[in-house]
Amino acid sequence: MPAVCLYFQVHQPFRLRKFSFFEAGSGADYFDHSLDELVMKRAAERCYLPANQVLLDQVSRLGGSMKVAFSITGTAIEQMRLYAPEALDSFKALAETGHVEFLGETYFHSLASLFSLPEFRRQVELHRALIEAEFRQAPRVFRNTELLSSEEIAREAKSMGFSALVAEGAEQVLGWRSPNGVFESADAKLPLILRNYRLSDDIAFRFSSGDGPGRPLTAASFARRLSMLPPDTDSVGLFVDYETFGEHYASNSTVLTFLAELPEALLAQSGWSFVRPSELATRSVRRDTLPLSSVSSWADEAKDASAWTGNSLQQSCLARLYALEPKVLVAGDEGLLEAWRRLQTSDHFYYMSTKSGGDGSVHSYFSPFGSPYEAFIAFMNVVRDLEQKLG
Amino acid sequence: MKILMLGWEYPPHIAGGLGTACQGLTWALAEQGVSIHFVVPQLFGNERAGHMLLTDQMRRAASPQGDEQQPTRRHASFETTRIPAFLQPYWSPGQFHAAVQDSRKAQSHGRAAARKDDRVARALIDGEVYGVDLISALYREDFYPEVSRPYGEDIFREVERFTGNVISRISSEEFDVIHSHDWMTFPAGVALSQLTGKPLVVHVHSLERDRSGLFVNEQIDQIERFGVESADRVIVVSHYTKRMLEEHHGISGDKVAVIHNGVYPRQAVQDYRLKKTWPRHVVLFLGRVTFQKGPGYFVDIASRVIPNIPDVLFVMAGSGDMLSGIIDRVEELHLQNHFLFPGFIQGEELEEMFSIADLYVMPSVSEPFGIAALEAISFETPVIISKQSGVAEVLEHALKADFWDVDRMADMIINALLHEELRQELVCKAREEVRKLHWDAAAQKTIAVYQDVAP
Repeated sequence: MPAVCLYFQVHQPFRLRKFSFFEAGSGADYFDHSLDELVMKRAAERCYLPANQVLLDQVSRLGGSMKVAFSITGTAIEQMRLYAPEALDSFKALAETGHVEFLGETYFHSLASLFSLPEFRRQVELHRALIEAEFRQAPRVFRNTELLSSEEIAREAKSMGFSALVAEGAEQVLGWRSPNGVFESADAKLPLILRNYRLSDDIAFRFSSGDGPGRPLTAASFARRLSMLPPDTDSVGLFVDYETFGEHYASNSTVLTFLAELPEALLAQSGWSFVRPSELATRSVRRDTLPLSSVSSWADEAKDASAWTGNSLQQSCLARLYALEPKVLVAGDEGLLEAWRRLQTSDHFYYMSTKSGGDGSVHSYFSPFGSPYEAFIAFMNVVRDLEQKLG
Repeated sequence: MKILMLGWEYPPHIAGGLGTACQGLTWALAEQGVSIHFVVPQLFGNERAGHMLLTDQMRRAASPQGDEQQPTRRHASFETTRIPAFLQPYWSPGQFHAAVQDSRKAQSHGRAAARKDDRVARALIDGEVYGVDLISALYREDFYPEVSRPYGEDIFREVERFTGNVISRISSEEFDVIHSHDWMTFPAGVALSQLTGKPLVVHVHSLERDRSGLFVNEQIDQIERFGVESADRVIVVSHYTKRMLEEHHGISGDKVAVIHNGVYPRQAVQDYRLKKTWPRHVVLFLGRVTFQKGPGYFVDIASRVIPNIPDVLFVMAGSGDMLSGIIDRVEELHLQNHFLFPGFIQGEELEEMFSIADLYVMPSVSEPFGIAALEAISFETPVIISKQSGVAEVLEHALKADFWDVDRMADMIINALLHEELRQELVCKAREEVRKLHWDAAAQKTIAVYQDVAP
């Protein structure tokens, strides 16, 4: 019986100010709290609150046949506490229904899995503790930053007790295979729940106001497409940024209607149901083993780490930042440690990408900086200040 | 299609970006089959313009098309002919009317009357032809033989002379469209258009307001307005300039076409790069040392950078009315060990300077385009440009700041000098970008404008 595994990503970074070279040593704050506040309040009002209400209604209407999972970063939860506590409350209300699952990831939505495994483990533990405290459930399935996956990451996740890893159903991972089922990583032997990126991107990108065939996407037509998948379909991973619902698109778009109508439309297709990631992990049927021989992710055309590590600006910043790890750990200054970790958030490096074309326009859509170069300069100025403080 | 182009300078002897832009545009136009006769006030003998007919205002051609005499350096011995007294740089309608009456009287018993031409008479009656006695200009071969350096002491006299010579020596040629570059050639363009009935396209590379800031020369400002008002179509080098035309001259945007400048890729850069033996970081300012270019901001920026980058050298290449003040200022601030003032440089020296610079900085207060930024990139030198520039519209891979934000500019320079990876990334991406800013695209748009006015 085929099932849809829905998972929504909720993340907000602590954005950097245009921290100047001349501010180094002045004690000035690195972060743009007023911008964060603006974005969080807007996201809460346009997306988190109305979309959570849609999901709460569905759960109360459909009970256990509606299932959904969230991965919420530690930085997003901190910002909700600061600027939109009612949004955090509504996520808690969803958790209390018992039909909503929360995934594990790094607290800071960082790239630590690529640069420091000890730091990676510490951030995953921090996140686990936060999710348990806020939502009273321990994450069982692991989702790394932007679905960055490799055998090494799978091994780490397994050793930390996770029962499965969420990964991108990219061609370089799957080859000829369909993503619509549970696989197992070849080396770490950890179940893999793959994202069907074609269907997921349909939800993420097809609500623009433009005309064209299949625009805007309706729940009924989407459910029909699912029902026409090959008969050997086990599960379909639909993983999108939660901000798609109302934030990335104008609130008057039909995207919230799509979300509201999707469960009934899907359940109307014979044999289809919803499934949670942790349930998939316990299914005994494995499609195949997949070697995660290189790092994959859900970002850009390349679906690898190049969105954050592809150019020399990014590499230089990452090298400087992670070189501070020994000092920052022994310094015993909580403020500096937190700043160092907030600087690890992948968004800072995403803003420095100099890719052109479609990828480039997505990068600049999210960036608070005028250019990748300004993002680099602000980051380097901050790192220099942090280095001075650490001596 | 035959185009008569009126310009004020042509490489390698240039005072600013105008000559470079004219060279690039005419190369690309010629490649696309446009036949061009380009007229400048004066040639120096080392111009290379095989792609078109390049002549001075006496219609002496540059090599290799020197069908007449080989042009030589300017002859100081040329006799000066004073302009008739009644000619003014700009005529009010009343003055013009009086002048027309006078010249009609003169026609009726002068030698011009013998060769009276309806077209000329009509032009005189209809038109507001700036500054030139059309009748005399048409029939006196030796009307204004003297030629002196561009932007001479009396620019208005130069413009009048040019206008007169263009009318007397060029108006009988065959062409479909007149294309006039910047205000100095607008009077000649308008006069020629009125004489011949051929459509006029004026090309605004910069405006008096860009060049002079608060101290706008009203006469030049009026000539600019007169030119763009009289023209059938106006080409501007940026949206920035289009807005200026709309705001300051009340010109309707409908007749204005924005055509960004391009740049030709360089081949010889590597040679210079190898020569790069300077032990220090070099930050280059290049342009007229005048208000518009923001040289004062450059010094302010330098004063913030120098304490943090001890081996930096700021090179201010160019001359201008603010130069001596700037040098005084640098000495006052005790920054002279970090400054170099090579004066106006051109040709190979210029190429070498572009090549050895680590950064090119253009802190212009007002810059209609700023083609030097594209030139710098073609020499693999990354650029920092003011947001108040036309080139900022077409260049994504540059560092950009407001000209007055000296802290921000200094921040950018410091980081660019500290981080080679930043310079590399900027140049590598900007070069890709500049390759797309080819003159071909500008030429195509220009041809569309020609076709529009002369279908």
